[in-house]
Amino acid sequence: MIPQALDALKRAADAGDACWRRSERTTIAFESGRLKSAAVVEESGLNVRVLKDGKVGVAGTTATDAPPSDVVTRALASAALGEPLAIEFPSANKFPSVATEAKSAGVASVGTLADIGRGLVERLSRPDAQINVTVEREVAETTIGNTAGGQGSYRATGVSVSADIARVSDNDVLMIYDYYAGVGMPDAADLDAVVESIKTRLELALTIVASPSGSLPVVFSPMGLSAILLPLEEALSGKTLIQGISPLQGKVGEAVFAEALSITDDPTLANRPASYPFDDEGVPAAPLPLIERGAPRHFVHDLETAARLGGAQRSTGHGHRGVFGKPRLSYSNFIVGTTPTARPRWSLGGGLTDGIRDGLLIDDLIGVGQGNVIGGAFSHPVALAYRVQNGKITGRVKDAAVAGNVYDLLKTIGGWGDDGRWVGTRWSPSLLLEGVSVAGR
Amino acid sequence: MRDVLDAAIRASRADYTEIRVERTWATGVSFRGARLESATASEDVGGCVRVLSKGHGWGVAAFTSLNQLPAMIERAQELSRAIVLDEPIRLADVSPQTAEALLDLDGDVRGISLAEKTRLIEAYNGEMLAVSGDITDTIANYHDEVTEYWFVNSEGTSLHELRPEVTLSGTAIARKNGTIEKALESIGLRKGWNSVHTFAEGFKKAGERASHLLRAPTVRGGNYPVVLDPEMAGVFIHEAFGHLSEADFVYENPQAREMMTLGRRFGRKVLNVGDNGAVPGLRGTMPFDDEGVPTQDSVLIKEGELVGRLHSRETAARMGERPTGNARALSFRHPPIVRMTNTYIGNGEGTFEDLIKDVKLGVYACSAFGGQTMLESFSFTAAYGYMIRDGQVAELVKDVVLAGNLFQTLDRIERIAGDFQWNQIGGGCGKAGQAYLPVTEGAPHVRIEDALVGGEVG
Repeated sequence: MIPQALDALKRAADAGDACWRRSERTTIAFESGRLKSAAVVEESGLNVRVLKDGKVGVAGTTATDAPPSDVVTRALASAALGEPLAIEFPSANKFPSVATEAKSAGVASVGTLADIGRGLVERLSRPDAQINVTVEREVAETTIGNTAGGQGSYRATGVSVSADIARVSDNDVLMIYDYYAGVGMPDAADLDAVVESIKTRLELALTIVASPSGSLPVVFSPMGLSAILLPLEEALSGKTLIQGISPLQGKVGEAVFAEALSITDDPTLANRPASYPFDDEGVPAAPLPLIERGAPRHFVHDLETAARLGGAQRSTGHGHRGVFGKPRLSYSNFIVGTTPTARPRWSLGGGLTDGIRDGLLIDDLIGVGQGNVIGGAFSHPVALAYRVQNGKITGRVKDAAVAGNVYDLLKTIGGWGDDGRWVGTRWSPSLLLEGVSVAGR
Repeated sequence: MRDVLDAAIRASRADYTEIRVERTWATGVSFRGARLESATASEDVGGCVRVLSKGHGWGVAAFTSLNQLPAMIERAQELSRAIVLDEPIRLADVSPQTAEALLDLDGDVRGISLAEKTRLIEAYNGEMLAVSGDITDTIANYHDEVTEYWFVNSEGTSLHELRPEVTLSGTAIARKNGTIEKALESIGLRKGWNSVHTFAEGFKKAGERASHLLRAPTVRGGNYPVVLDPEMAGVFIHEAFGHLSEADFVYENPQAREMMTLGRRFGRKVLNVGDNGAVPGLRGTMPFDDEGVPTQDSVLIKEGELVGRLHSRETAARMGERPTGNARALSFRHPPIVRMTNTYIGNGEGTFEDLIKDVKLGVYACSAFGGQTMLESFSFTAAYGYMIRDGQVAELVKDVVLAGNLFQTLDRIERIAGDFQWNQIGGGCGKAGQAYLPVTEGAPHVRIEDALVGGEVG
């Protein structure tokens, strides 16, 4: 598909690139403990970008019955409207070696996937709750090429096993979930961690206690950290930067945050589903320090944001493409606080609750991403949170809300836990922040 | 196409087989600030086969290579056979439907050039940018699509539809002295090019609002009587109640079933709630759902009492109730699941002024940035709000976040005005990995006796 697309590009445009992806995803789902469905999704699609008379255009298609010249024609129509952009396609065709594929995952049968799910259902089963388990396996092949000679192809596998448990008691609805995600099949310890996490959090949640109020120490678990990190993810994006709305603009090298805060994006980590040897624009992957000991270092860029910023800025290899639309900036493995380990140790709070006289442990918040994220202010009711009293978790807190501003709170870090783990494509331990506004009811 | 699908159905050995095929032509134009971000046209083609055999589970195969249809039916049957069930999955009976439901395209967007669409959204974007120097950034998006849709099943249903859709949205971002505020305008219609030319004023208002919010104080947190505008009330009823009425939440869950027992009182006499996929021209409107069941008006709460819920054929059979035409799939990549369509709070009496005239100190929450529920708990962020003082709308306030417990809040809806309107807004609903499905909501102004409003505390 790529050679034909490049031929059509060379004939009709001044320059261009193409990304072709083929994937097959198999999903089995246990609903309320029963395996009821198995599904496969096979998809292939082509995304092309052209540079014509200095303007850029994009088009995409899953209509594999049509010749690639059709989609090139549509990309040219898109370019006719585009703004001039001096985009430079990378000529690289040598890339770092990154482990993105596990053969065992690719060949696992539906029966094998079902056995994993059944095992989890049995271990989590309890009479007062419903258990849903989903096991998913994906095999994908990505090929890129451009008119500057850049080209590459790699295969990737991904397996995820997620379990959620719902307990309804009168008007109290409790939902707790966790999951494994990796390039290969989970081993016994991976599944043990999911079971232990769900069981521990469920047991502790059965007791409902009143929420404290005031300016309090709050531990954000790795799953509960999204509200704190989302403003930083936006602020460190090259796109936000060129729009002139990043609060971190012009602050590179300044001590904006506590020295204990470091963030790196690393697409080259072995055996992580978000890793890649090159991004979807053919730029070689490399680790990128974003915040080092409290000081912003780099912003992520793709070919377009780098070209728009100008000067010495190059793409950092964070261009991601779907079948439709233009490439967009995205992080790969977003690593916060500590260095990822191959075998994380699950615990609730990561040891940070020990010194707390009265405070909260936040595991999930409601409405993260709503509102004015870029400014750093957040205000959310808790979805799953526990009260910490005299160093002990005493029960679940309902009807409480937390608020603050990330840029103020992260000036002081109370500590990182020893429970670093992956939550999707983000690695982090628990984080203790002082002086978070807690409103109980 | 129909012959191909009919032949494929006949070749299937499963007890029940259905095939959906979709071909979608879409264009999108977006501006960021004064700069054209992208203008693209795309084509998305694929199908989904779902089969069921006695004693076995659902087998589903979705694909982009239409020439692989026979192989995909075989694949779905293999997957189905791999699942053995003691208790069979049953589907509620529906009569076979045959229809050529070619919705009015209202000015086929496929005949309009990308340049013309670009000019339209550029003009709307310009309305926001022209407001004042406070507007440092904007995002303006135009998206349209036409989907040709086929559905056939082994029970004799055979549908062929043409569905138009167009959405426009604008975000105005204002910035001054380190404060950043934004305001939204959003339009979503199951219509075409003829209906997109009258929105300049709305985009301009978004720009003005972002600018005004820079100077607005943050609402003081606490408990207030709260009046929701129709948009906020619609989002509230969708998020906080609608999802609980989706039968897949309750049908396999005895405790949830108990919580959602028909006849249970959820609110006061003034409260009526429903979901209607058959209202003409709305975003959640379709003649049939993705199981070939006709859409309908389903009453969920009548005078405060729970009287119905939303079903697929499977959930209806399991609960001994009737299918409601609410099994929907985001695209051929997904099987249908129970979803809302156009969800509403029924009309009450009187005007907005009547609603606020006896409120001494309250909050008027307008337009929604978003909402999320964790079943009984919810959080909604209003795009902006006003204080209500001595029965009058007073100053603009920002950061109005409503949070609370669903059951308490529904029960505290004490008055509903008679100014019902459908919200023709874009966006959509996400559930079980299928986001964003076109839905909409409708409501009049609604008054909640007492609700917690987040904001600056102390």
